[in-house]
Amino acid sequence: MTDRRTIIPFGPQHPVLPEPIHLDLAVEDEHVVEAIPSIGYVHRGLESLVPTRDYQDFVFIAERICGICSFTHSSTYCQGIEAMMGVEIPERARYLRTLWGEYSRIHSHLLWLGLFADALGFESLFYAAWKLRESILNDLEKTTGGRVIQSVCKVGGVRRDIPEDTLSSMAFRLDALEDELQELTTVFLGDYTMKKRLCGKGILGKEQAYLLGAVGPVARGSGIPFDVRMTDYLAYQDIGFKPVVSDGCDGYARCEVRCKELFQSVELIRRLISDMPEGEAAVTVKGNPDGEYFSRSEQPRGEVIHYLRGNGTKNLVQFRVRTPTLTNVPALVEMLKGCDLADVPQIVLTIDPCIGCMER
Amino acid sequence: MNPEIEMKSVSELVSAVEGLKNDGCRLVVMTCSPAPDAYDITYTFDKVGNLSHIRINAEEGAEIPSITGVYPGAFVYENEIHDLYGFTFRGLSIDFNGTFIRTSVPYPFRKQAAEPKVTKVPKETAPQAAVPKEVEK
Repeated sequence: MTDRRTIIPFGPQHPVLPEPIHLDLAVEDEHVVEAIPSIGYVHRGLESLVPTRDYQDFVFIAERICGICSFTHSSTYCQGIEAMMGVEIPERARYLRTLWGEYSRIHSHLLWLGLFADALGFESLFYAAWKLRESILNDLEKTTGGRVIQSVCKVGGVRRDIPEDTLSSMAFRLDALEDELQELTTVFLGDYTMKKRLCGKGILGKEQAYLLGAVGPVARGSGIPFDVRMTDYLAYQDIGFKPVVSDGCDGYARCEVRCKELFQSVELIRRLISDMPEGEAAVTVKGNPDGEYFSRSEQPRGEVIHYLRGNGTKNLVQFRVRTPTLTNVPALVEMLKGCDLADVPQIVLTIDPCIGCMER
Repeated sequence: MNPEIEMKSVSELVSAVEGLKNDGCRLVVMTCSPAPDAYDITYTFDKVGNLSHIRINAEEGAEIPSITGVYPGAFVYENEIHDLYGFTFRGLSIDFNGTFIRTSVPYPFRKQAAEPKVTKVPKETAPQAAVPKEVEK
């Protein structure tokens, strides 16, 4: 350590952070040489509630792990219980879960784009992004009854079906949304200010990203072509899926991946609506889960893991969630090494941190 | 449908993890869970979309070799397991000494964790409701 080194605390309360995380930044002449993260300000211990709740009721608690990727948490949990019990859900339920998952992805990415624009002081862009997000939330509310917490997944399928005429009107609104997304992303990816704040900032090489276990747009922005949607999961194999990847390895590449994933999600929803199978949306489930299972899904922020262990009773004995933000923290520490102090806020935002998710 | 999990002894752990890394696997997660006799710590890896797992069995409070020398990103999982279950990881690259996840009681996910303390105000010192005075006529 040289005598020029100073430790600057960043967070847990900071204008760009909607949720608390703390970083001790070791700086030398305004250059960050080391960042030490610290979490635990909002740790709730939801995982420890499984022994006191019925496994079917626990879906509602699993969904409340996060207020943004709530739907994916509930579907990942249900998917794990169904695998443990050998339950095959109806085709239509698989398609509906995929459809709501993609709607969640669009609303999450638009939320991030808006927050990112706001953090840079580009407030009109923030308004534009959140205005588009509102139309997605309206469709989620119309089809599930909830804007943030949908409570539509259950063990054995989904609680609600979507009528054909509603599906057609959703497809119609997506056409208009796509044009507006085109305008919005042109600013994010082409504007001088955005490029100035993103290009060459927060570098994370491909090998480093893989070694540090980065997932989601953070990994794909570093050229790693991995997405859980490539595996045999929900209806992605039926409708076809290819991940969006960028080789830029910087903040701009991560933003580019999220922007392109918006259009990819719109296209996936179109295919889901056109290929939607007919039939029941749920099956009756009897019995209790026994054994253990690692269930995984692709959240908007990347791969999420739900580990479930049951003993044949109505209560699970173990539940553990590994969220994408937790596994992207080591990657964030690597990105911050060598950056300018003034660039720290937007580099932190490029991993799209979700602290509520991470702390469970 | 249970996953295939390879059991390892604590002494074999690091060499097994090194072998998986050399094979091109990505560390996905470390999971600690109470087992009937002790605790299971499961290391999950991914290669081309396929998950594989190795597991060690450890007594409460045992010392376990850290795998941060092989996978530097494992420091988040090892610090988390330390703070929630009380295991010590030998050779941990970034050791938060129990401050990574701040909890109101030490090691709250242990089998016999201490109950959280609830501060109650004793009845005799609790503020009394104001009694309205009689208005003189």
